[in-house]
Amino acid sequence: MSLEISQGTPVEISEERALTDSRRQMVLNMGPQHPSTHGVLRVILTMEGETIVGCDPVLGYLHRGVEKLGETHRYSQFVPWTDRTDYVAAPSNNLGYILAVERLCGIEAPERATYWRMIMGELARLASHLVWLGTHALDIGALSMSLYCFRERELILDIFETFCGARLTTNMMEMGGFSRPIPDNLPGMVRDFCNIFPEKQVEYESLLSANPIWLSRTRGVGVIEPDAAISMSLTGACLRGSGINYDVRKATPYLYYDRMDFEVPLGTRGDVYDRYLVRMEEMRQSISIIEQCLDQMPTDGPLSLTESPYVIPPHDSVMKTAEDMQRHFIWVIKGFSPPKGEVYQAIEHSKGELGYYVVSDGTPIPYRVRLRTPDFVNLQSLPYMAQGAALADVVALIGTIDIVLGSVDR
Amino acid sequence: MAEEQQTGGPADSPGRRIWATGHWGPTEPEEHPAVIAVRERFPDSFVDAVNFRDEMTIRVDRPALREIVLFLRDESSLRYNFLSDLTAVDMLRLRDNPRFDVVVQLYSIPRRQRLRVKAAFNDGDPVPSMTLLYEGANWLEREAYDMFGIVFEGHPDLRRMLLPDDWDEGHPLRKDYPLRGYREYVQPGFENPAPRVRSRFRRP
Repeated sequence: MSLEISQGTPVEISEERALTDSRRQMVLNMGPQHPSTHGVLRVILTMEGETIVGCDPVLGYLHRGVEKLGETHRYSQFVPWTDRTDYVAAPSNNLGYILAVERLCGIEAPERATYWRMIMGELARLASHLVWLGTHALDIGALSMSLYCFRERELILDIFETFCGARLTTNMMEMGGFSRPIPDNLPGMVRDFCNIFPEKQVEYESLLSANPIWLSRTRGVGVIEPDAAISMSLTGACLRGSGINYDVRKATPYLYYDRMDFEVPLGTRGDVYDRYLVRMEEMRQSISIIEQCLDQMPTDGPLSLTESPYVIPPHDSVMKTAEDMQRHFIWVIKGFSPPKGEVYQAIEHSKGELGYYVVSDGTPIPYRVRLRTPDFVNLQSLPYMAQGAALADVVALIGTIDIVLGSVDR
Repeated sequence: MAEEQQTGGPADSPGRRIWATGHWGPTEPEEHPAVIAVRERFPDSFVDAVNFRDEMTIRVDRPALREIVLFLRDESSLRYNFLSDLTAVDMLRLRDNPRFDVVVQLYSIPRRQRLRVKAAFNDGDPVPSMTLLYEGANWLEREAYDMFGIVFEGHPDLRRMLLPDDWDEGHPLRKDYPLRGYREYVQPGFENPAPRVRSRFRRP
C-alpha cells in the first residue's frame, strides 16, 4: 500500500520559464477591497510578466466566528445566524441547519411544509445563480447582464418578502415546519415567476452563450480535471462541470427530491464555460422542480408539527389552552433538549454541498455546530486553476467558483 | 418531559424520513460492510462503531487514522473517494481524556454512501494529515489547526486559515476560550474597557 497523491494533470511550465531569474517575479496583491473579488477576498499573486506562477488566497476578513456563536446560542436562536453566512441564498442555509436539528431530534415537518421548503430552497438557488451570473458577467465585461439578472432576482425577493417579511436574511424556517401561514397570493406569485423566468433566461443566453467575447474569456480557461476535482472535494457546478455526477439532491435525496423528475447537468471539458452552461441548465431544472412541487403539493394541511416537544406550539392554541401555554413558556425560556448524539446533514446548496455537523450533549445549547460551506472548499481550486493562467483570467476564475465571502469566512 | 424527549415523540415512527436516511448503509454495525472490513483489516486500531439516526460512525485509534482512511478510499468494495468534511470537536466538557476528536466525513460517489470516521487524541498529539489522500483536506486541516490548535503531521503548509497570521490569543473554538477572547477591548466613549463577559446562556 503506498500513499499516492492524485493531482490530475499538472500544468506544464516551460523550461524557459522555469529558468527565469526569480528577480523577474513580481508579487501582486489583489484585494481585499478589489471589486471583482466578490467581497473581501485577498489573493497574493506571484507573477512573471502576465503569467501567474503562484497564488495564495488569504481569507478571514469577514470571519465572525459563527461556529463559536453556535455553541453559545440555543438551537432555535442559531437560525438567524445561518442567514448571515451565505446571504444571497439565505433560505438554503436555514434549510440545512433546520434539517440537521430535526434529524437530531428525530422529527420531520408535515408534507405541505416540506413542499414549501423545497420551493423556497429552489428559489434561493435561482436567486443565488442570478447574482452569480450577473456579477460573473460583469467581471468579464458584460455590464448589462448584472442589470437584467438583478431585475429577475427582485421578483424572487418579492416572493420571500411576501412570505416572511424579509428579503435578504429571511429566517423563514422553524423546527418542525414554518411558523407563519402561507399567504393566499403566494402560490400565484410563484407560478407567475415560473412563467416569466424561462423567457428571461433565453434572453440571457442569447446575450452570452454564443458571444465571441464571452467565449474567448471562458473557453479553455480554468480547466479542472475530473480526478483533481474529486480530490479537492469540490462540489456543485465546479465538480459537475468536470463531468462528475454528484448532486446531493439525486445522490442522497432529502426532502421529497426523490419524487421529483429532474436532470443533473454535466459538463465535459471542465472549463469556465462548461460551468456556466451547467448553472444555466440548473436554473431551468429548478423552475421545473418548483412547478412539480406546486402541482404535487396538498392544498390544505398543517404547516408545522403541533405535538412534538421540540416545536414551539402554535399561536392559536397557546392563547386557548393552559397546556400549550406552559409548553410555550418552557420552550421560550428553556429551549428544547435533543438527545445526545451527532448528525451530519448535507443539502445541495446553490454552490455545492452544504453540510451541517451538529453535536448535542443533551442540553438546549448545541455542543458543536460545524458549517461545511461549499464555497470555502471550492475556493481551494483557485491556486490550481490560476497556475499558468493570465492575470486577467483571475477575475473569471473567482467568478466561476461562485463565492460569497460571508460563507467562506463564516 | 425529559423522558418524552428521549424517546422522540411522533417522530420515531418507522417509514421514510425527509432528512434522507438510508444513505449511510445498514444501521446495524455488524452488518455494515465498512465496519466489517475495517475491523478485519485493522483489529488493533478499531475501537467501535456507533449508529445514531442511521448515521454510522467508526471510531479508530489516532496513529492508524490515515491508513484506515486510505484503506476505505482504495478498497474496491468500499471506495470512499470523496472527503466531505474534516473537522474537530473539543470534548473538554464531555469527558476527561482524551480531549479532542477529529471527525472525517467520507462519501463514496460510486456507491452513494456516507461514513464518518473519528479518532480521539490529546492536546499536542500529532494527527496524521489527510492531504496525501485528499487534496481538499488542505484548507480544512488548516482551519482545524487555526480553531483548535491541532497539529497535523505531514501537512505541507500548516498556517492559520481564517484568523490573522500573527494572532497570539490561542485557538478560539476550544471550549476554554472565552466568547469575547482574552483581550480587553476599548469602548469608544467609555473610560473603562469592555469587560470580558461570558455568554448570557450558561450551560447547566
